Amino acid sequence: MKKLVGVIVGCGAIAREHLAVLSNFKDVDVGAVCDISPVRAEATAERFGIKKWYTDHKELISDLRPDLVHITTPPSSHVPITKDCLAEGLNVLCEKPITIEYSDFEALRDLASEKNLILMENQQNKFHSCVLKIFDLVHSGKLGDILEVQILNSINLVGDGSPYTDANVSHFSSSLPGGPIGDFLPHIAYLAYMFTGEVLEVRTIWEKRVGNTSLRADEFRGLIKGARASAYVSFNGTAKVEGFWLRVVGTKMRVETNLYEPPRFTVRRFRSGEPSLMTLLDGIAESRDGARGSVTGFVRKLAGRSSYDGLEELLSRTYRAIELNQPQPISLKEINDTCLLKHRLSRLESSL
Amino acid sequence: MKVLVSGAGGFLGRFVVQRLLERGHSVRAIVRASIDAPLWDGDVEIFRADLRVSSELSAAFDGVEAVIHLAAAVTGNEDVQFASTVVGTERFLEAMARSSTRRFIHVSSIAVYDWSCVRRTMDEEIPLVKNAYEMGGYTIAKVWQERLVVRAAKEYKWDLTIMRPGFIWGPDHACIAGMGRQFGRIYLTFGLFTLLPLSEVRNCADCLVLAVETPLPGTHIFNVFDSGRVRVLRYVSEYKRRSSQRGMIVPIPYRLGLGIAILAKWTSRLAFGKKGKLPSLLMPRRYESQFKPIHFSNEKLKRELGWVQRYNFPESLDFTFSKDVRVL
Repeated sequence: MKKLVGVIVGCGAIAREHLAVLSNFKDVDVGAVCDISPVRAEATAERFGIKKWYTDHKELISDLRPDLVHITTPPSSHVPITKDCLAEGLNVLCEKPITIEYSDFEALRDLASEKNLILMENQQNKFHSCVLKIFDLVHSGKLGDILEVQILNSINLVGDGSPYTDANVSHFSSSLPGGPIGDFLPHIAYLAYMFTGEVLEVRTIWEKRVGNTSLRADEFRGLIKGARASAYVSFNGTAKVEGFWLRVVGTKMRVETNLYEPPRFTVRRFRSGEPSLMTLLDGIAESRDGARGSVTGFVRKLAGRSSYDGLEELLSRTYRAIELNQPQPISLKEINDTCLLKHRLSRLESSL
Repeated sequence: MKVLVSGAGGFLGRFVVQRLLERGHSVRAIVRASIDAPLWDGDVEIFRADLRVSSELSAAFDGVEAVIHLAAAVTGNEDVQFASTVVGTERFLEAMARSSTRRFIHVSSIAVYDWSCVRRTMDEEIPLVKNAYEMGGYTIAKVWQERLVVRAAKEYKWDLTIMRPGFIWGPDHACIAGMGRQFGRIYLTFGLFTLLPLSEVRNCADCLVLAVETPLPGTHIFNVFDSGRVRVLRYVSEYKRRSSQRGMIVPIPYRLGLGIAILAKWTSRLAFGKKGKLPSLLMPRRYESQFKPIHFSNEKLKRELGWVQRYNFPESLDFTFSKDVRVL
């Protein structure tokens, strides 16, 4: 059977994650990599045993006509490269945020629809093992009705050597609405959308708490009123304890996970019985879940599993869709809605 | 001679510029915009640039006869190091190719050697590491940086001198990787008799300036080590005592540590296959490249460049830990 061919445009850290996943796929060949820095492209090709490397994406796509182009460049270059690929009739999987401005996404969306091509944004956490587990609990009815969703992201953007505050080289995210926080907003937006459904109302707070940094804002809070549920979302840019917590409170159960530490996952169920005894049992159960998750997470690291849990599933489903000529794993409408939500979440930041 | 120094604001760069001035050279120093220019004794032309992004590097080479290329990252993740060390060098070499400068002194590292090939003595004949990707971000960056420099020198017919120092140490930089690992108040050192490939920062600067002053046509490679045998236990004891740090030194025999690392590697292979990951201390090749008990030869440096060491180990210790040292 003929193998599918993928290519990578942009050879930074995230490209390595894509390439590591693709090396596990028996039915996909990486035809070439591309970067504007020749040495970065060559080093990436050598490391992953890829025969060809380019410094011009147009030359690459015209030479190889790949089945899927992975765009892993900084966001400001996503639109022109994606346009070039779609115009050439090629499917695209682009890193988040797929576009900086929503209007640019609309143009790409229309082009992809017109040409009947796949246009995906990397929304890997949709397929994160813990998120899939929560969805199983929702769909099986075990969680009950969703009452509340909390998505709390904490990353130290201002620590020593942080690329986000490098005084010599401006980080690519500084051009995004929300600055570096804007680089994380797509994850927050699509995860929230999964639970809230159609977005009815959005309120946000953007704040700069630490004065002596180049960040425009280091704190973000948002409330999203959706058709199915409401969500509280937040980002802390100066926290030393980092994490990406997702909490879903249902009528029968509360689940909590840190997406940076898969498969750590704790569940608290509704139990009938003597309250103090149930509290004890719940505490024991949570400790057991936490310990089991921590040990399994440690073993996963030793096993060399990617910290980008969900990327493998997303790539696998995308290539399967291409192979079987099926709809893309995340519909254009859903990507559109999450881009719009991201846009609404970041809109007020510009007034800072 | 007019000398351009990249990475002049860094630890070694500050001393190299000072030594060039002492030797009567004219210096143009590339310093990043975010740091204050060091307080050198003498006139230095400061050229503000970051090799990763600055658009106009060509002007830095105007009237320059020789270049000492020091710019590199020693901290940060793999991508940060690759961008600073390799992509920065790529852009720097492109700019030099447009100039009339023809002499290049490149500061590499002994991290580029394949330590598993060293039987008794590390000299310039040791082959380079074959699979740098097993060795971590610093080695990957230094291997690629050297490759680029060698290619450019060949293509543009530059005279190239590659200097490969060991652990460069001095004031505020006495904590070196070869010391082992510190866990709270416990200092784990590896190898009871392991010698350290030390290069005190002033001695290292002397070697680089000597390389500038010694015209050698073609490509030449020199290891840069101080003379004198300093064992890791002695170094750690001095470090602990002179920096007034409390704690206990626990020496681990080299072969015991290596045996544990090999065992860990094979256990990982059996359990997880080739994709298994281990801490660097438990990776035999990385363990070896930090602690292997071998000798380090600076004979070529002395023979061909005529280097005479100015500061011995006790003098370097006094300099490093003295409270009176003026930081440039």
